[in-house]
Amino acid sequence: MGSVVVEQLRKEFSGVTVLQDINLDIKEGEFFALLGPSGCGKTTTMRCIAGFEAPTKGSIMIGGKDIANLAPNERNCGMVFQSYALFPHMNVFDNVAYSLNIKELKKNNLFKKIGVYTRMLNSKIVKYPKHITEKVMDILEYVELTDHANKLTSELSGGQQQRVALARALVMEPEVLLMDEPLSNLDLKLRHTMRNTIRRIQQDLKITTIFVTHDQEEAMSMADRIAVMKDGKILQIGTPTDLYSKPNTPFIADFVGTSNILPGEVVGTENGLTTVKIGNQRIKSASPTDKKHVDVVVRPENIQVLNGAKDQTGNTFEGEILLATYLGSIVRYDVKVGEHNLLVDTTYESGDSIKTNGSTIRLSVSPERVLLI
Amino acid sequence: MNKFKKHFVGIGLIKLLIYGFFLLFLIIPLLSVFLVAFTNQPINVFGLLISMERMQQTIDQFRNASLDNFKALFTYGGYLTGLINSLKLSLIVSLWVLVICIPIAYGIARTKMPFKKTIGALCTIPLVIPTFISAYAFIIMFGRSGWVTYIYEKFGGEGMLLDPYTMTGIAIVQIFFFFPYALWPMVAAFKVTDASLEEASRNMGAKGWLTFITVTFPIALPGMLSTMLVIFAVSFSDFGTPIILAPNDLNLIVVDAYREISGFFNWGGAAILTVIMIAVAGVVYWLQNYLLKGKNYDILSGKPKEIKLNDNKALTIPLAIFSSLVVLLPILALATIILQSLATTWGKDPLPSGYTLEHYRTIFTSSLGNIQNSLILAGGALILSVIISVFVSYFVVRHRSTTLDFMTTIPLIVPGIAFGIALIQTFNTAPLQLTGTALILIIAYSIRRLPYMVRSTVGTMRAIKQDIEEAAVSLGASTLTAATTVVGPLMLPGIAAGSILVFVTVIKETSISILMAPASWAPMSLAIFQNVLRAEYYSAAAMSVILVVMVLVLQALANRLSGGNKS
Repeated sequence: MGSVVVEQLRKEFSGVTVLQDINLDIKEGEFFALLGPSGCGKTTTMRCIAGFEAPTKGSIMIGGKDIANLAPNERNCGMVFQSYALFPHMNVFDNVAYSLNIKELKKNNLFKKIGVYTRMLNSKIVKYPKHITEKVMDILEYVELTDHANKLTSELSGGQQQRVALARALVMEPEVLLMDEPLSNLDLKLRHTMRNTIRRIQQDLKITTIFVTHDQEEAMSMADRIAVMKDGKILQIGTPTDLYSKPNTPFIADFVGTSNILPGEVVGTENGLTTVKIGNQRIKSASPTDKKHVDVVVRPENIQVLNGAKDQTGNTFEGEILLATYLGSIVRYDVKVGEHNLLVDTTYESGDSIKTNGSTIRLSVSPERVLLI
Repeated sequence: MNKFKKHFVGIGLIKLLIYGFFLLFLIIPLLSVFLVAFTNQPINVFGLLISMERMQQTIDQFRNASLDNFKALFTYGGYLTGLINSLKLSLIVSLWVLVICIPIAYGIARTKMPFKKTIGALCTIPLVIPTFISAYAFIIMFGRSGWVTYIYEKFGGEGMLLDPYTMTGIAIVQIFFFFPYALWPMVAAFKVTDASLEEASRNMGAKGWLTFITVTFPIALPGMLSTMLVIFAVSFSDFGTPIILAPNDLNLIVVDAYREISGFFNWGGAAILTVIMIAVAGVVYWLQNYLLKGKNYDILSGKPKEIKLNDNKALTIPLAIFSSLVVLLPILALATIILQSLATTWGKDPLPSGYTLEHYRTIFTSSLGNIQNSLILAGGALILSVIISVFVSYFVVRHRSTTLDFMTTIPLIVPGIAFGIALIQTFNTAPLQLTGTALILIIAYSIRRLPYMVRSTVGTMRAIKQDIEEAAVSLGASTLTAATTVVGPLMLPGIAAGSILVFVTVIKETSISILMAPASWAPMSLAIFQNVLRAEYYSAAAMSVILVVMVLVLQALANRLSGGNKS
């Protein structure tokens, strides 16, 4: 297992820059997610690490070793592909044993090499040695596929194929495990199960993992740290809670969870509280800023509904409910305040009444929960 | 980055070699034959590159270049009548094939015609028989002492029912042996016609036949016209039928070109005929693509819908009878050859006077060499075209090389005789004297069959996602190991099916064999041809039967490998 350090990585495709200033410092055993919308460069970054793309500039180190001169097959990066990329002409066992065969191929003499080669083409002719069989069966047991060892991969369900792909990458004991949108081909329920499976295995083996996804929920629920990417650049790196509570750009505030983002103008600072004017409303924020024009970010769940209760925050607004949506454990109100619309989430307990559309509502928000970007 | 660079240099070198191969054996020969049409003398393309003297000679040749040959085309009666006759023949053949195929295709695609499966299977028989064998079977049947002529006379006819040594004879052979090329595309065209469109027409009150004329037929029309053009091209390039049947006073361009080169060594004349042939074939190919442009009815009709098959006995029984009559002639031709190969003597009688295996014994004792030659040449062509097409398809699919894609379609257009003449002209003299060697034969066969092979390998290569290759590499395999253990095995079925087809078509190949094969490398087709010319019909028949059996067996194997009915 190794750390992954990427410095000043830059990638151009026929003159067009698709990656620039990529700096990553991924610790040993860390589960690291590259998160971003499609075309943001997250997959290209991963492919540079795997060696399938040659960086235009910059260095990549795995386990403290510069790997620029290593071909992709020498980098020892286990990779799980979005399509799984299982070998359709081999059964599950042969798929998983592939990298072990390759290792045998490298160290043996010519005669044995021919044997291994033949086995890779047809494992019925040349049998596997005991140490390979044991290792493959161990890992298959680990991903609960022991019973399917002799099946063709096409006979398996999506989730099972996913686990074969994982086992195939893990069996080579890679320094880094690279996963490219591995869950996007699964249905919702299976995706949730697989999240747990992958996370469990990763923590068990303490294997450094880089996980590419466009699904913020997936990244938030699995990763130790996340790098959010957009247009070939990294916008912010942090733990899931960091990104959620202190997004450094409106894009992240919006991309990671739901946010109310309103343009405002700073009008004064007093006792550590900044007053920002939004339209004809004023709001106080505890977050420091030295800018004049700011984006005011408030999470919907941080806005309270004052049902006649006394305000303690000094930030109160009155608005009109445009739409109330019942979402099970919460009720989401779309509220018109001044010239802006705000989303407000309130927890719903059975017996609570839901306010009707068109009714007036009084809201408050603590200055600590108002973020200025 | 050295490892990356190394990888790209290796691949780039292979790409360069492939381009070099096409340049050397396809582009330069075709271009130089074009120049010869002006200079009237052979040009030694490779010689002039290494010798100043030759360079000077060539420059002089170009000084004397003229349009005389092109003028001769329009003044000297032979060339022009040859071209006109060939065009006429191809037009007649393609029209008749269309007329014959419409009812059969409709019967197979849209009705519950009795014996549909059997008729469909029998319709592939003409495809396994090389045309010069069918032409010669025609002589045994319809010739002066043929059994058909015998029966015809018995019923009071005079002379021959049909003289095989005429334009009509050639046309009939081509019609009955080329129709399957049009049949299967037409069946497909009828099948994709959306049944709901026809139901809509009926719903609006049109009767069955009216629906056919106003809806079914027009929708299938572009597909039909394009298949008609295919037949036109096949007939125009066909060498086997006219070389056997064309009488001396009937000029046909393929035969003229062959005679100019192998009879008179008239390079200029052969070159101009070659240029004309390629031009005609090129126009036909262009027309065909033009017709199909934007008319992809597969897409239009969307999901394949269950078509309700017509079960009207008044329609299906006449259709079945008609279809059977059409396939009857090729079957009789094949049966005639088989009988002839077993006959002690067969004069002007309905059946041979006795039966013997003597002819086969003769073949296996004295002509084994020809069979061997065929197998070696076809095997060589197979290996060469497998290697080239695997790399070509890799570049076409992974590097999106449109140039290579285009280059591999050129042989599809160039008639065999034209390509043969171009090669002979280019490689006739030192420094690259290859004419008369097995190597140039193998190269010629491979290039001619490459389009089919490439189509097959490109298809399988497309189906292998790049991910799978990368997965192998990420698991530690070198590019070579990944290619041999993952990509190779996955491509194998496509390669196998394609290469068997190459093998089969090389064994069947007529024009290149007759034009280019030296006596020491005479393949079966050339041996049969020479036997027919020498009127040694019995051994020709026995050799033909062996050839057809080989083709049949291999074709069946290829069909099984490619997973079914890709007729």
